[in-house]
Amino acid sequence: MDGTAFLARVEQYHRDGWRLALINVTTVLPAASAAHGAPGAHGAHGAEAPAGEAPAGEAPAGEAAAVAALPMGGPGVFEIAWGFARDREFETIREQIEAGTTVPSISEFFGAAFLYENEIRELFGINVTGIGVDLKGQLYKTSTRVPFSHAAVKARLAALAAAPVKPS
Amino acid sequence: MKRTTIPFGPQHPVLPEPLVLDLILEDEKVIDAIPTIGYIHRGLEALVESVEYTEFGYVVERICGICSFMHGMGYAVAMEEIMAVEVPERARWLRLIWAEMSRIHSHLLWLGLGADAFGFENLFMHCWRTREEVLDIFEKTTGGRIIFSVNRIGGVRRDISDTELAAIVTKLQQLGASFTETARIFETDPSIRHRLSGVGILSREDAHAVDAVGPMARASGIRMDTRLTGTHLYDRLDFEPVLETAGDCLARVVVRVREISQSIDLIRQAVDRMPKAEGAPIEVKVRGLPTGEVFERLEQPRGEVVYYIKANGTKYLERFRARTPTFANIPAMIKLVKGCDLADVPNIIMTIDPCISCTER
Repeated sequence: MDGTAFLARVEQYHRDGWRLALINVTTVLPAASAAHGAPGAHGAHGAEAPAGEAPAGEAPAGEAAAVAALPMGGPGVFEIAWGFARDREFETIREQIEAGTTVPSISEFFGAAFLYENEIRELFGINVTGIGVDLKGQLYKTSTRVPFSHAAVKARLAALAAAPVKPS
Repeated sequence: MKRTTIPFGPQHPVLPEPLVLDLILEDEKVIDAIPTIGYIHRGLEALVESVEYTEFGYVVERICGICSFMHGMGYAVAMEEIMAVEVPERARWLRLIWAEMSRIHSHLLWLGLGADAFGFENLFMHCWRTREEVLDIFEKTTGGRIIFSVNRIGGVRRDISDTELAAIVTKLQQLGASFTETARIFETDPSIRHRLSGVGILSREDAHAVDAVGPMARASGIRMDTRLTGTHLYDRLDFEPVLETAGDCLARVVVRVREISQSIDLIRQAVDRMPKAEGAPIEVKVRGLPTGEVFERLEQPRGEVVYYIKANGTKYLERFRARTPTFANIPAMIKLVKGCDLADVPNIIMTIDPCISCTER
């Protein structure tokens, strides 16, 4: 992402009297794993196709095999949305970044951004530079480190594929 | 001067939920406050990976025990927008009525806790007794007292008969009348004024700078309320947000006290203006798999909540995010705590009406 152009847009929102409504991050997975739960797949989370049992050389049978075939901890993309609100209006700035890319903080313009930025650093592992109030990784206490990193999400999906949760 | 660090929470007499503030003090003045949350982080947002979108509404309702109806409503409304579902009008009116009743019960609950925090046990009991009557109406109309599960994508599960709606309005108006005395104490009692007036002042400029929402912003004179956008049928009601300008702890209490009578009036208006169509459809069947994304805003008792939902054409959503009002108000809280006396910290924290369950999800 172009940090300078991005910050210029954020500054414009600040000058025009908008307030920061949220910063949201989505962990984007490759199409194969995003098809998790797609219609036509075998049972919930591919119950009939346990991970790792797809015969070599053939197309993976069911979503479980597709999830298992993904490289764990590989590179991926995050989609970030900075949402701004003013009265009835709501607008976003959207960016797609590669995991490992550094994102500039917007706390300079929106003081409340520090909380969102600390959160996305702890939960998604995105490095945000220049956070107004750096909580040094102590905002959340989670059992999984960086629970929304690509590796962690894939690991959870793979575990679900191996032991599916039955709908109640 | 020598600095002392005092941990505030996770267990503290005024905190119903675990929040930690590391307060850095010089003498009795707070210089800095470093927040830590995470004691009740349940990873609800990650549950979209394993709970189908049709059932995820039950998870969303359980984000919070006070705003549970509003969370369920927000999820249903957002999903309806993604799936382009036209919801029957009666269902939308019923949602508005339950939502305003949730506001009454939330504010009463908070006023009780607030009173308890500044040492007014008796007032706490009066507020909670009044709240009980609202919960009885919930129980009668939905079957639940806290978690109703009455929202579903496409409408609501239960109708309220026109006679019962009229009875609810009468009941709430009686409740409002009996609450007048309690409201008067909150607004005029000298010991409450002494404790809260001029404490934790958030100026209008500061409230804007830290993006405060809900009663917090309105107590500082910012005319900000998601209901003003006119969505969810609020455009059919006469509505003007309650504003105060002092921005102190007392102003935040007064805004909530007045919003109770305002909500009672909004329910009366809704019952007057909704078509008398008992037995009309209250839900539509929703089929298919959702694709698309949406940002949805709603005014919860504590302020604006923003939902982001992204669906990718499967049974499981790709992303669910709720930015709850307390999350938005934490920067304001930290701003207020800095520079205040240690003895005022509990009241300042209480008057943002913190909901840590909401914040952590």
